Order: sequence, then structure tokens, then C-alpha cells
Amino acid sequence: MDSIVILFISGLLGLFVGMRQQTLLSLIIALGGIILAALAAFFREAYHTPLANYSNYIPTPAYVIILLCFVTLLAILGGYKRYSQDKDHIGDYFSLILFSLCGAIMMVQPNDLMLFFIGLEILSIPIYVLVGIEKGSALSAEAAVKYFFTGSFASAILLFGIALLYGATGSFQLIEIQSNLAFGIWSSPLAIIGSLFILAGFVFKIGAVPFHFWGPDVYQGASNAVLMYMSTVVKIAGIYAIVNVFGQVFRDSYLFWIDLISIIIVLSMFYGYITAWKQNSFRRLIAYSSIANAGLMLLALANTQNSNIFLFVSAYSFATIPLIIINNVANSDDDDLKNWEGIAWKNPLIAIALVVALFSLAGIPPLAGFFGKFSLLWSALPQIPYTVILALIASLIGAFVYLKLLLLALKKPSVQVKQSIPLDQIIALLITTMASLVALYFI
Amino acid sequence: MRLIGLIASACSLVASIISVSFFNPTEHVLFDLGVQLVRFSMDSLGYIMVILTNAVFFLVFLSNYYNQIIGHRRFTALAFLMQFGLLGVFTVNTILGFYLFWELTLIPIFMILYWFGSFENSRVLMKFFLYTLFGSLAMLVSVIGLMQITHQQTYDALLAADLSTIGNAGIWLMGGFLLAFAVKIPLFPFHTWQAQTYTKAPIAGTMLLSAIMLKMALFGLLKWVLPIFDGIATDFWRWPIITLSLIGIIYGAVIAIRHQNLKTIFAYASLSHLGLITAGLMLQNSQTNEFAVVQIVNHSIVAIGLFMAAGIIEQRLKTTNINELGGIAKVAPRFAFWFAVLTFISLSVPFTSGFIGEFFLIKAIFDVHVFSGILACTTLVLGAIYMLRAYQAPMFGPTKNEKFLDLRWSEIAVFALLSLAAIYFGLAPKCITDFVAHSLIQTTH
Repeated sequence: MDSIVILFISGLLGLFVGMRQQTLLSLIIALGGIILAALAAFFREAYHTPLANYSNYIPTPAYVIILLCFVTLLAILGGYKRYSQDKDHIGDYFSLILFSLCGAIMMVQPNDLMLFFIGLEILSIPIYVLVGIEKGSALSAEAAVKYFFTGSFASAILLFGIALLYGATGSFQLIEIQSNLAFGIWSSPLAIIGSLFILAGFVFKIGAVPFHFWGPDVYQGASNAVLMYMSTVVKIAGIYAIVNVFGQVFRDSYLFWIDLISIIIVLSMFYGYITAWKQNSFRRLIAYSSIANAGLMLLALANTQNSNIFLFVSAYSFATIPLIIINNVANSDDDDLKNWEGIAWKNPLIAIALVVALFSLAGIPPLAGFFGKFSLLWSALPQIPYTVILALIASLIGAFVYLKLLLLALKKPSVQVKQSIPLDQIIALLITTMASLVALYFI
Repeated sequence: MRLIGLIASACSLVASIISVSFFNPTEHVLFDLGVQLVRFSMDSLGYIMVILTNAVFFLVFLSNYYNQIIGHRRFTALAFLMQFGLLGVFTVNTILGFYLFWELTLIPIFMILYWFGSFENSRVLMKFFLYTLFGSLAMLVSVIGLMQITHQQTYDALLAADLSTIGNAGIWLMGGFLLAFAVKIPLFPFHTWQAQTYTKAPIAGTMLLSAIMLKMALFGLLKWVLPIFDGIATDFWRWPIITLSLIGIIYGAVIAIRHQNLKTIFAYASLSHLGLITAGLMLQNSQTNEFAVVQIVNHSIVAIGLFMAAGIIEQRLKTTNINELGGIAKVAPRFAFWFAVLTFISLSVPFTSGFIGEFFLIKAIFDVHVFSGILACTTLVLGAIYMLRAYQAPMFGPTKNEKFLDLRWSEIAVFALLSLAAIYFGLAPKCITDFVAHSLIQTTH
């Protein structure tokens, strides 16, 4: 709770400072708010919601909130160059991001379904605005409208599912729902349909097949700076919500939904990676890669006792953010993969960050992406072995995609042009690269 | 820059030789760095491989001393990263650690090949990378499965674990490992990346690939897979793998006879030689294993020597097609002499390390199955055909290349060191076989 209050206050403060068009001060307020929020979460250890007393229930620990804050911090640092060009709106950008982060933090804390829904809306609405904030660009407007309509539709379905579940169990509290369902209310069609609708709503948020259609268009329309936030924090919050609701509350009907989840995993991974292969726009490629990674994240549901999602989502975020920063360097607001040719020769830091990020996404040890995948597969293999093997085959195709991008970026150009990067992006690149490299010590 | 690489690799070689002189081959030495999943241990087999690795890196730096590639900081850095990975593979004591280091070696060799090779289109390189990654993923499934089933991860605990209860699952788990190894060695149907990659790679990269990277797979087979899965699984896979190896022996040799490019010939020769070692290892007989280790060392010697010779020709004449070469012996007598010595070593004439290794491996196959033994024998005859052809065509005949700079001191030093080692191990193979005998006792029935 403290974190949310701190973030909200610093967001408001940012709005006032933004009126005076002081870019650096806005940045400092935003970063300070995020750091304070993370510290507040750190000293609170874990959020003691009513559910924490329940014996088998794992409350969302503080480190998830710290991860969310940290990733947002990196996204703001990486996008600062873009934001500071737009002095009129600098305060709006940072405040919208901070408000959205409040929603993400609400979503990852298990409490009751209404809170989930409110968190989801607080997370989403600022992002609809952020996507459409490039007023001059038709693509951006199209993306915002698409995202808003499909997103509201998904929210409605989620709400409908919550209502049905309320009808079946008589409560919004997750703990009561869980204990009521354990008595065998599962045979009730209300509960089954309700849980399916809730699944659909969440799968839409993380953008896995078959609710992925908004992804590529929205990602392409959003600016690099917004994309950094959107492609990471929303996914982390969404996957933690799914893990909390399905892995914990609905765990008694495991056998009912695990097949469905397996199909979603396999379809997302194959569809995402195969389609990413032929893209020639970077942001679309990242969109398809994120669809596939969303499928991989769902593997965490296979083992309800021990869902090792943390390492994977952090590895995914620390690999995606540097790629988008590099795209920002390669073609400032443009989006063509052609400009990536020889980008690694422009600056040694770019080369290192790029190699580490792409190998990490491809899952090559000893980088963070491997350990993330490993911990997911480790807990999922005994439960759903065939899905895991199919997921591995799909991630081989994924390695193809990332390697193609890497080879393009490493190609030696005939004329070498040096390019310098602003300090904030250097910091973000350094932090993410180090985080991907030292993952070995956290397992 | 080039001197730093050379001196650093020489230092690691000297350090490993000094440490082996204090080592008692009957012992295990354990290291613990505090990371739970990666722990290290050294036994005598590990020591042989460590010294081999360090020696190979030293020789690669020395033999390329006058080539442009050594002048690049990137190359030196990547080569040492790769050496780190390889030393990890040979000394690690946990199964997950083995997988980690195995994959770690892939990044530097990939970058070396990409930056310094002549891959006009990246297709060949992608093929190499994805073949290897495909095998590795199969191995990853097996590693996870093995750890889940036995709840163990260190080498000794896995050896002690009883896998007979899991029945057919053991066959599948071992299959995953074998797939990774079959791609890396390579065995017959998985070899298609090899010749193309070797031909396009920079000569230093080819040396690293063939002289030491492929040995990771043989080492994994010898130390990890065969002892751990001893029983139903090894009985199931023994004859399929031996059959593939025998096909590889003959197929590689026949292709090598027909081919025109020196580097391709040597690549297929390597396929043929490694098939014999794999077949010998699958027999799981302690004496055969000892001589397989001798043959592993010998193959590294031969691979460095032959690819270096091909590299010298390529660097000076810009071609390795034997139709365009001829009469080099007249222009460069010193090169002709040392190339001849290396050719004879690879033909495994008596008193070289190749002879004793091949002899015992073929004998072991004969003892088990006579017809397979006869097939394995053809490697000697066919080997003579392609090696002599590969030597005779560029060296003798009408002089097609007037200008050919004879050997430099560094190249003579490499050739001399290789020949000395081959003859020493040929005369006294006991220094290897006795040394590794203790750690190989566990690996047999």
C-alpha cells in the first residue's frame, strides 16, 4: 500500500512540475518516487493481505514489486531522450507511467477479484493514452483506438467472468472463492464459464494466442519509449495475476484448465516465433517475440506449488529494454530493420548490450534468459512433458529469429560511423547488461 | 596484441603442466566456488583434457602468429572465453554445470566464425549454430529429466544412482544426450554442417573446432553418459551408434577421396577418424577406453597439423583446390618435409600415436564383431588413398605456383612440436593410458 501511495503522490507532483516544463526535475521526481516505492516495498517484506494467513497460499513477495519498479525505472531512463524532446508533455508522460505502475502493483497483490479488476483498469487506461500520445502520427492514433477498443472488450469479458464466479461462489475474496470451489462447486457451469472468461481477459493482457491480434499493430504504433514500458511491465503484472488466480485459487480444477493452457502455450510460441521470422519492422518483431514469450511464461502454471516465473520475467525485461533502446539509436523514431545493419559497429557498448540481450532471449547459458527458461522448464517438465518438448522446439525457431537480427546488426559496414549515446541510455544499457550477465548467482 | 595472446596461452599451458606433475592419478581434487549448481573436480581424465585444451590454444596462437586474425583484440578475447568454457566442461562435477559450459563454448566460436570467416551468406553459419543448438536442447531435456528422476546432480551421486528402475525412460534420456553428442562429433546423418563450416571458417576457428570442441562430445560420452546410463540404455544404443560410426568411417573416407578442396578433404577425414573413436567408446571396455583417449590426443595433433598446412596453402595462394595446386615441394622444401611428416602421422604409421590408438580400437571391434572389425579396417586403406592424394597433388607434379613463401619460424615450431608429441606418444602410450586408467575404471561394466 505504501508503494502505491508514494507513486501516486510523486505522479501528482510530476504533473505540477511538468507545467513549468522542467524536464530534468520531472525525471528526478519520477525516479525518486519509483526508488522510494521500491524501498517501501523492500522494508515491508511481504504484503500481509488476508490471504497470507492461509497456509498453502504464497503471498506475492516484495521482490515482485521491486522488480516492477526497477523495470519502470529502466524504461523511463531509456526513453528520457525521447520524452525530453516534448517539453510540453514531459510531466504527463512520467505521471501516466507512474499511475499505470500503481495499477500494476495492485494487480500482482492477491486480495480479491474486484481489486484485480480495478488494478487492471488503472494499469491499462494510462497506457491507452500513452500509445496515442504522438498526435501527429496516424499509426499511433490507429494503435490507440485499436488498443482501447479491444482492451475495453477484454475488460468487459473479465468483468463478466468475475460476475459469473461471484454467482457461483458468493464472494469476491480469493480465499473464500478458493475454499468454496474446493467443496466441489466446480461441477457448476457458472464457475467453469466464469473461470474461462477470466482466463480470456488475462490472456488478452499478456497477449498470448488467441488474443494476440492487438499486439503487433499497437507495438508498431507506440513510440520506442512507451514500448519499453508497455512490453515489460504489463506482461509482468498480467502473468503474476494469472499465476495468483489460476495457480492458487483455481488449483483444484487444475486438470480442467491445464490442457487449455498447454494449447495456448504451444500455439503462442510457434505462432509468435514463426511470424517474427519474416518481419522487417523492428517493433513488430518485438511484438511477435513478446507473444511467444507470453506463451513461455504460461508454463509457470504447470506446477501450482512452485511457479518459478520471477527469473524469467526479469530476464525477459532486461533483454527487451536494451533492444528497444538500441532501436531508438538505430532509427530514432522510425522502425525499419534495414537501419539495423551494422549497428553494432557504431558503438562498443551497443555491440556488447546487443549480443548479451539477444543471446539471453535465445536462452543461451550463462545468461539470465537461460536460467529463466530453465527454472520454468524444470518445474513444468514432470507435469506436462510433451508441451515442454514442443516449447523447446519452438524456442529453437526463436533462436533463429534472434540470431538473424544479431547477424544483421553485426554485419561490418563499408563505412564506419561512430555514434554516441546519451548518458541516461548508457546507464540503462549498462544496468540491463550486467543484470543479464550475473544471473548465475541468483539461482 | 599477438604477443599477449601467445604469452598468456603459454602461461596457462605451463601452469597446467606444473600442476599435473603434483597430481596423484588415483585422486579426485574438488573445488567449490559456493555456487550450488556448479562445482568442480579434477581426475586424471580431466587433467589430460585440460592439458590438451591449453596446448591446443597455445598452438593455435603460435601457428597463426603471422596471420592477421591474431592482431584483432576481439579474437584473443573470444578465444580465451572459449578456453574458459572448455576448461569448465572438462572439470565440472555437476550435470547442469556440464550443460552450462557446453553451451558457453558456442557463443565465442560463433562470433569467431562470423567475424573472421568467409561466410558470404550467413546460411552455413546459421546451420552450424542451429544444428548445435538443436542437439543441446535435447540434452537440456535429458539433463532436467535426469535431475528430476534421480534428485541428484553431482557426478559421483549420479554414478551411484540406480537407473534400472526407470526402464525405458533411461533410453530416452540417454537418447537426448546422444543427439547432442552426435551433432557435435559429428556422427553420420548429423554431419552436414561440418564440411561447409570448416571450409568457410578462418583457419584458427577450424583448428579450435576440430582439435578441441569436438572432443567435448567424446569426453561427455566417456565420462558422463556411458557410466551413468550403464545397463539397459547403453545396451539399447550400443549397436545403433556403432553402426552409424562405421557408416561414418567409410562414408567420410569415400567423400574425402572424391573431393577437390583440401579443407573439405580434411573435414571428411576427421569424420572418418572420429567414427572409429566413437565406435570404440561404445564398447565400454576399459582397455579400449584408454586407447580411445590416446586416439583423442592423436586426433587433436593431426587436426591442428593438417588444417595448419591447408591454412598455409590458402593464405599464400588464396586457394585450396587441389586442381589449381602443384609443385609446391620444389619451391618450398621445408613445408614439403613437415607436411609429409604430418601426413604420415595421420596415416598412423607405426611409432606414431595414431598407430597404437587405431590398432587397439580396431582390435577391440574385431573381438566383438568380426564383420564390423573388417569394415573399421578399411579406414587404414582408404585413409592412405585420400591422404596421399591430398599430399601428392599440391606438392608434386608440374609447378603451377612459382611464388610460395617457405615456412616461418613459428610454423616450423608448431610442426616440430606436433611431430615430437606424436612420436613420443607413439613410442610411450603408457604415459597416457596408465595416467587415465584410474578414472576410467568407473566407466566400464
